[in-house]
Amino acid sequence: MAANIVYANDYTLMELMAATMAREFRDMETAFVGIGPPLIAAMVAKLTDAPNMTIAVEGGAIGSSPRRLLTCIADSTIDERAYACLPMWRLFGDQQRGFFDVGLIGAAQIDKYGNLNTTALGGYPNCKVRVAGSGGGNDIGSSVGRLLIMMRQEKRRFVDRVDYLTTPGFLSGGDSRQKAGLRGSGPSAVITDMGVFRFDPKTGEMYLAQCHPGLEPETIKYNVSFELNISPDVGVTEAPTQEQVEIMRSLDPFGLYLGTGRQVMADPEKGFDFYMEILDKSYETMETLFSKMGK
Amino acid sequence: MQKKLSKAPVNKVMSLKQAVSALVSDGSYLGFGGIGDRTPTAAVHEVARQGKKHLRLVSDTSVSFVHDSILIGLGLVDKFEIAYNWGGIWGSDGVFRRALEKGIPHPIEIEEYSNLSMGMRFLAASMGLSFMPVKSLLGSDIPVYNKNIKIIEDPYTGEPVALVPAAHPDVAIIHVQRCDQIGNAQILGHIGDDDSLARAAEHVIITTEEIVPSEEICRFPNLTTIPYYCVDAVVHVPFGSHGRGCSYYYAMDVPYGNQVGNAWATQDGFDRWAEEWIYGVDDWDGYCRKIGWERLMRLARAEQRYQKFGEVR
Repeated sequence: MAANIVYANDYTLMELMAATMAREFRDMETAFVGIGPPLIAAMVAKLTDAPNMTIAVEGGAIGSSPRRLLTCIADSTIDERAYACLPMWRLFGDQQRGFFDVGLIGAAQIDKYGNLNTTALGGYPNCKVRVAGSGGGNDIGSSVGRLLIMMRQEKRRFVDRVDYLTTPGFLSGGDSRQKAGLRGSGPSAVITDMGVFRFDPKTGEMYLAQCHPGLEPETIKYNVSFELNISPDVGVTEAPTQEQVEIMRSLDPFGLYLGTGRQVMADPEKGFDFYMEILDKSYETMETLFSKMGK
Repeated sequence: MQKKLSKAPVNKVMSLKQAVSALVSDGSYLGFGGIGDRTPTAAVHEVARQGKKHLRLVSDTSVSFVHDSILIGLGLVDKFEIAYNWGGIWGSDGVFRRALEKGIPHPIEIEEYSNLSMGMRFLAASMGLSFMPVKSLLGSDIPVYNKNIKIIEDPYTGEPVALVPAAHPDVAIIHVQRCDQIGNAQILGHIGDDDSLARAAEHVIITTEEIVPSEEICRFPNLTTIPYYCVDAVVHVPFGSHGRGCSYYYAMDVPYGNQVGNAWATQDGFDRWAEEWIYGVDDWDGYCRKIGWERLMRLARAEQRYQKFGEVR
């Protein structure tokens, strides 16, 4: 298999991030995935190395195969050709029961134990910047098999203490997670636009496992507020393959997630026609992608 | 003794104006259904037009630009209980942010949960229980700030477990694809917490894309998520979720949210938007005419190219 890999020469940082995340999924797993870049990463996995992976989304649909642009985790797109459409509490109940092997979410802040903030920056409830809130994040972080996290690398996002602990990682490290009564095994990987981070199984502390091509550990260290551990055998991230990049560009041809397509849609004159055109064009592209997988 | 909750199997069809005016009051505790899809946007606009104030809102996932935040931006809300306020591909919601960051147009009280724990609140209420246990929330800051969540030792396992209180809205407003005149409501696609929400509330308004004969409902009884005995009012509102989509009926109007998002960037912009789109029309029919029936039909055609009820596409 390895002999035939063709790496892409030309890719964006977001594409590198999504392609790297795609490699964290395994075949035959059931995955709980958030919208946007996480869903693009999961779809890349499903269309390459993990064809029998089932994707479930927070809205309540399991195993859908939509032939159009994925706009939300809870619009009609996610019902298309789904195995099941459930009440939301039932889907999350399935997760609490232990049916979901892996979950992928984003965050505004993370600390060295992988605790996440998606609620508020600069105080609570009075805050400087209000974000969306837990949604399913807290539930996924509490109960899912492995937790994967995808976010931007910035000093103010990689902090000593999150301003508000929305989603539990390893809490204060050691056995604090088990003591709190949480069931899932906690964070497994954090993938940013600079590198890949993992967690020490004993202490629950984050360490730098891989740098993206062209970056030194010191540069990444500079973009983290806490004292960052660096693996003694820190590696270099594998570049995206040509196939991965082609799939990402078919899934998001106008860069709605991985680029700047959103502004075009906001145009009051041309936005709606542009959107209709995207929907129209996505049918054949997606048919081709899915038919390769026999679905 | 508990007062009678069940509603009779009689014709409940009325206008949205009548339903909102009869069942929603100042100070009402409201739950708007839908999650991303089937947002009861027409009903939100009508509550806004009737100027119902001092509202307490409860939502599992509140959807930017088409849902609770419209009422927050108009200053009609005192308290907001949520797991998530979000616009998906539409990005963040200016109204929600201004209310919580700057107290504009006035400060609101917020009570937060996660998706599962909010669902458990409706589930508890839907079964006549006062709470449900959940294995989320533990170790996080959510119960630190929300004192209605109790962490106890599970009497059976000895492990920590979180308890969340039942949520009993005065009125639930839920948009569905199909409903008969007596209120048997059928949902296609994902369901959100609407099965529980309808049973948790004291009164229920169903807005529906189509009113179908009861015989049609009886052809697919498994689809009846909400039985008539929960329902007080049935309102025919085609395209009642415009902005978001309605599975099998019409696709989400993504550019609409991007444009409204730009309009809501400032409170002035929001006020101008509300003046034009809520107060500037008489009812949802007026809104649809303003959006344009051609645009709505294109969204319906787009959705039905991919999925249409009863057909494999």
